[in-house]
Amino acid sequence: MERYSRQMRVAGVGPEGQRRLLASRALIVGCGALGTHAATALVRAGVGEVELVDRDIVEWSNLQRQILFTEADARDAVPKAVAAAAHLRSANADCRVTAHVADCNVEFLAHLASEPTVVLDGTDNFATRYVLNDWCARHAVPWIYAGAVGTEGAAMVLRPGGPCLRCLWPEPPRQADVGNCETAGILAPAIAAVVAFQVAEAMKVMLGADTTRGVFTCDVWRGQYGVLPVASAPAEDCVVCRGRAFPALVGERPGAVTLCGRDAVQIDVPRGASVDLDAIAARLTGIAVDVVRTAHLLRFKADGCRFSVFPDGRTLVFGVHDPLRARALFDRWVGVA
Amino acid sequence: MIYLDHAATSFPKPPEVLDAVRRWFSEVGVSADRGDGPHCQDARVEVAAARSLVADLVGTKSGLVAFHSGATESLNLVLRALLRPGDGVVATAFEHSSVARPLVTLQKERDLRLHVIPPDADGALSVDAVVTALAMHRPAVFVFPHASNVTGACFDAAAFCDVARRAGVVTVLDACQTAGLFDLRVGADFVVASGHKALLGPPGIGFVASRERELSPQKQGGTGSSAALAEHPTRWPYAFEAGTPNTPAIFGLAAALRYRDAVARSAALAASVANTVALAEALVRLPGVSLVAPTGHARAPVLSFVHADFDPAEIGAMLAAADIHVRTGFHCAPWLHRHLGTELAGTVRVSPGPDLSPAEIAAVAAAIG
Repeated sequence: MERYSRQMRVAGVGPEGQRRLLASRALIVGCGALGTHAATALVRAGVGEVELVDRDIVEWSNLQRQILFTEADARDAVPKAVAAAAHLRSANADCRVTAHVADCNVEFLAHLASEPTVVLDGTDNFATRYVLNDWCARHAVPWIYAGAVGTEGAAMVLRPGGPCLRCLWPEPPRQADVGNCETAGILAPAIAAVVAFQVAEAMKVMLGADTTRGVFTCDVWRGQYGVLPVASAPAEDCVVCRGRAFPALVGERPGAVTLCGRDAVQIDVPRGASVDLDAIAARLTGIAVDVVRTAHLLRFKADGCRFSVFPDGRTLVFGVHDPLRARALFDRWVGVA
Repeated sequence: MIYLDHAATSFPKPPEVLDAVRRWFSEVGVSADRGDGPHCQDARVEVAAARSLVADLVGTKSGLVAFHSGATESLNLVLRALLRPGDGVVATAFEHSSVARPLVTLQKERDLRLHVIPPDADGALSVDAVVTALAMHRPAVFVFPHASNVTGACFDAAAFCDVARRAGVVTVLDACQTAGLFDLRVGADFVVASGHKALLGPPGIGFVASRERELSPQKQGGTGSSAALAEHPTRWPYAFEAGTPNTPAIFGLAAALRYRDAVARSAALAASVANTVALAEALVRLPGVSLVAPTGHARAPVLSFVHADFDPAEIGAMLAAADIHVRTGFHCAPWLHRHLGTELAGTVRVSPGPDLSPAEIAAVAAAIG
């Protein structure tokens, strides 16, 4: 316990609080910039079990902000969850760190060994966030949304009983409207600022303390930090909080299939979906390479792969064999469904 | 949906086939040769009728027709039963994986001498090439498809069987692409086909039919005959039907064979080939499209093409966006794509049935062009 002596001096923690942290289990979804910052803080703080889930591999463009990863990880294309877990284990042997190289979908969550005390959002896409929202609401697990893009960030605690993410946004915003790190860039301090709020709130959940109500927002460039108030009760028409329906747990997420004998993966979207190829093309121009819009498809190159996106959202990713990797690239560059 | 994947499986099935399958579930419910009651008799009569209809189709006796889960199981049985260690076997570059893979496996297990006849410059297979291969390699078995499931090239099966018989070589005809369309009475020692393609039956049923040839059973189990003996029977057809048969699918196949009789089969062939030719003509007019297929009417109703600017998978997605179902990629023909020069991405395969309107053909072209 000596290593936690400074933390235990904080009112609200103490030896009892530290024991609670050591008996807690945090699930961190996404092991990018947000996830590696949060995992570092939680492991060092002495959270007993930290589970990391990420489907992607370490790339050179990650090193600018995704602490924990080294040049060797990028060179060897190590799965992010595996690389992060390896580094974290040397930081605190008290903490059991588990790495899952997986898509955090309904099936993955259903097979968790036991329910986490708290879930931290480190994802880069709203499809996964809505799965987390609905799953956490159903299982009465608090989760903490966090997102950062450009120089701005936002975070919020979503507690069982609501309000939930759907109370604020009933449907996932379109990825094209919110941008991502590939298209809008990202300044590392924006991550640190958001994660500071997220981790403090996660610790409060685990310590049994009251959490902050409202949406934390920051713009580290303009030096603005604050908490926007939100309603204390769930929205009247929220399907999750009021209707106890969990759309993201029953809807199909896009399937990904490696094409027979090919170094290519097809991402299927639910029947009846449609995407605005022109909007995606406009967003990618100047960021992706060789962006071509034909009558029937949108083509571009990014992350060493060639993408073909069709009006029904179906996407072919050439130059990749692993469906998980293709799904990660799809969510990053196309981000529909 | 515009369905252009009849080479994979026919769709939709005739209502008569669905009725027959449903009748088994609602009124029969038991296997033939597994009891004595009226239900069992009903099953026995219909299974016997199915055998007889298949026997007519290939020109043999109904006692020499064995039903399996599909052509894949039949081909595995025949190849495993016929080929002994050190034997020679001649096949063609057009083989489907259901022939190529068992042969490659047996080649390792039994040290076979395997020779694969390449396609000629026209993407066909001449009788001369077969004569030469049989003379040079002196195989025990010659296995060949009636038509290519990739290009639609079809072969002179009667002539192939004739030259093989003169050379003392046992013939195995893979008729998956032609059963239900072509005349299968070509003199092959073994004819194998699946029931769910142009025969219009349900999936889960295929057969091997023989011309008075013996085989050794490759799978042992219950047969509903000689049940008191621990030793598996050796007589056709029970010897090759171990386990509870797929009787509802046999009912469906029998109904399909009655539905598409010999007259209907030649009409279906003519209409399907006419549709294939019309599709080919519409496709070659599109800039960038090249056919990987023989032209003209002497063919099976399946064709492949590639596009200069688009990957086959992209074409498949464009067509899917227009609710047109085709197949793209390698079509389970591992040897052929090297000869066609399509080993990197495969082809787009289009295989119409007898019903396809000019408007639907125009829709296919519009979805790509």
